[in-house]
Amino acid sequence: MVGRGERVAVVGPSGAGKSTLIGVLTGSVTPTAGAAQVLGADPSALSGRALRRLRARVGTVHQHLELVGPLRVVHNVNAGRLADWPAWRAAWSLLRPQGLPEVLDALERVDLADRAFERTERLSGGQRQRVAVARVLVQRPELVLADEPVSALDPALAGRVLALLTELAAERGGALVTALHDPALALRHCDRVVGLVGGRLVLDAPAASLSAADLADFYGVGA
Amino acid sequence: MSTAIAAPRLRRSRARWAWGLGAAALVLWSLAGTGVFSGDVLNPAGLRQAGRSAAGALSPDLSAEFVRVLLTSALVTVAYAVLGAALAVLLGATGAVVLARRTWGRRRAGWTLARAAVAVPRGLHEAVWGLLLVNVLGLDPWVGVLAIGVPYGAVTAKVFADLLDEVPRGAHEALRAAGAGRAAAALYGLLPPAAGALLAYASYRLECAVRSAVVLGLVGAGGLGYQLSLSFSSLRWDQVWSCVYALTLLCVGAVVAGRAVRRRLADPPPVAGDRLRRDRGLVAAVLAVPVLVAWSWWYLALRPATLVADRTGEQLALLLSLAWPPDVSEPLLGSLAAAAVVTVQVSVVAVALATAGAVLLSGVAARPPRRPGPLRWAAGALVRGVLLLLRAVPPPVHALVLLFVLRPGPLPGALALGVYTLGVLGRLTAETLEELDRRPARALEALGAGPVGGWLYGTAPRAAGPVLAHALYRWEVAVRDTVLVGLLAGGGLGAVLATGLQTFDWPAVTTTLAVLVALTLAVDLVSDRARAVVR
Repeated sequence: MVGRGERVAVVGPSGAGKSTLIGVLTGSVTPTAGAAQVLGADPSALSGRALRRLRARVGTVHQHLELVGPLRVVHNVNAGRLADWPAWRAAWSLLRPQGLPEVLDALERVDLADRAFERTERLSGGQRQRVAVARVLVQRPELVLADEPVSALDPALAGRVLALLTELAAERGGALVTALHDPALALRHCDRVVGLVGGRLVLDAPAASLSAADLADFYGVGA
Repeated sequence: MSTAIAAPRLRRSRARWAWGLGAAALVLWSLAGTGVFSGDVLNPAGLRQAGRSAAGALSPDLSAEFVRVLLTSALVTVAYAVLGAALAVLLGATGAVVLARRTWGRRRAGWTLARAAVAVPRGLHEAVWGLLLVNVLGLDPWVGVLAIGVPYGAVTAKVFADLLDEVPRGAHEALRAAGAGRAAAALYGLLPPAAGALLAYASYRLECAVRSAVVLGLVGAGGLGYQLSLSFSSLRWDQVWSCVYALTLLCVGAVVAGRAVRRRLADPPPVAGDRLRRDRGLVAAVLAVPVLVAWSWWYLALRPATLVADRTGEQLALLLSLAWPPDVSEPLLGSLAAAAVVTVQVSVVAVALATAGAVLLSGVAARPPRRPGPLRWAAGALVRGVLLLLRAVPPPVHALVLLFVLRPGPLPGALALGVYTLGVLGRLTAETLEELDRRPARALEALGAGPVGGWLYGTAPRAAGPVLAHALYRWEVAVRDTVLVGLLAGGGLGAVLATGLQTFDWPAVTTTLAVLVALTLAVDLVSDRARAVVR
């Protein structure tokens, strides 16, 4: 149960089910047991238009980014609006980018405005991660899901991007659920920490009650 | 924030736009040239014959007698394909050494010259080689073997040379530095890294050779193609369709066998334990090759003596003396220029149609990543089956059938080549889609994108490059095939060549061949450039 405005860090060793949890929340993974309620609906029970409408309200930064390499950055960011756009507008935008001000604004917020028309595959790993964040920024979702959204960024930039995601979730009064592997970041940017091991919930506590050493066990390495 | 930096501007790649506009203009010009826009292309009188042909599809001749004929014909076709491919690999392996960049080192002139020399055999279609060789060797099985082996050998040599050049140099040079001899160093440092790709390409060539052997049958070399042309000229549609089904089975067999070999090569099973274990399937395939070659040799009754007989030499000398000097009279050059234009237009229309069709069908033809429902599965299987049938039937046969319903002219040829190429491109496009990483498209789905939006942003941008590259490559093939269609069904350079051969006008044949080679080289060059831009 994640309430509005909450910021939850999901922690756990690799293979614990963090990405699966996020997949269940977007409805791209069907749970083998139990059910999830996302914004008041069960994604695995919906299909077609209703599922699309629900998905439009959930923004995701995937672990492997899942950007389209041969597309320019601007189109990859604009892809965040595909749920709202009719097909003709999506097609036209590939020739004449639509809603450019919002895109440039989002890219500016992740420090990437000057690369808007570069082909995405020419960017570095960290730059691509920020493109994925910019996509969520133009999508303006109510619930923000993020799977290791800052793994390729330096500490300063990582802090800024997490702050951005938090801000974004707060803008629409929604929540942020993010898988993180850095305990310090989890404690600084989230107000609740959920620990998974082997697909089971083993920890659920307010961040204020935890220290970095408490979290070290969940990553399988001493922090 | 930092408004100091100028807002970035969208800059389109000029080269891409220029090539795109050029391609669009070329397609429009070709469509106009083949008479698509002029209307009145249908020939209503032929609809009845076409109907009969379609009815034959459902009731093929399966009498024991005809099936026996088909079986022996299929064996002849297989024998030609095996020997042709074997000769090609032999020529290719020797030729690769001559063509490899490594052999020449800094002497670029020699390398360029060697590459140019190979372009001539490559520029002529197997059927053209067949018709030329018949005039030297007479009706001898060597004609079929050489007609496949020589042009294939040239292509194979080029591909083998490229594969050898791509092998990283480190291992080979380390062996040479350690004192290994030339041959030993190549055997340990050069061949093993390239072996998989070399074998895979050889198996692919065998697949193509089956198709070429069928086409050679159409121009008289015997086998399934010959049987098909016999049934066709007597309008026995039930037999024509039996031949088509037999052809399809043969092609499918070749493709399945070739794919099995390539899959084993690409993804060998893990070796456990301390004993050397070989892949039994691969060992069997490798052992089967000499057996098959020996059997084919015996079955076709090849006699090496024919090649070195006095008569062969005399005939060749006579032909060469007749064919030189080439005919450069104005009327011939004029008709050649006109025919070259038609050939280019036909090939462009064919590839444009095929590409459009392949893209439209690819969504259904590609196997979906998740288990499909029964309806989706049936639709996919149906489309894949039709594509298979389209590419199993040689283009001239398509053309002859289309000539019943369309008025004569370049259009039947273009459509025939178009549907044949659609069979090939449809499969390649579907495979491209299947191999694409599905995750970016799924991420778009996860944020609520609709099917069109998801396709436009997730699939199309990544598939466009490979699909266009395939289409351009097929254009090179289509130009050669246009000549084949022209030979048998009229139109373009093929018709001019056929006239020259029938009237024994050898000087004109020489000129036509020169134009043919020049045209295919030019198309190869343009296509190569365009592919570099697409990449």
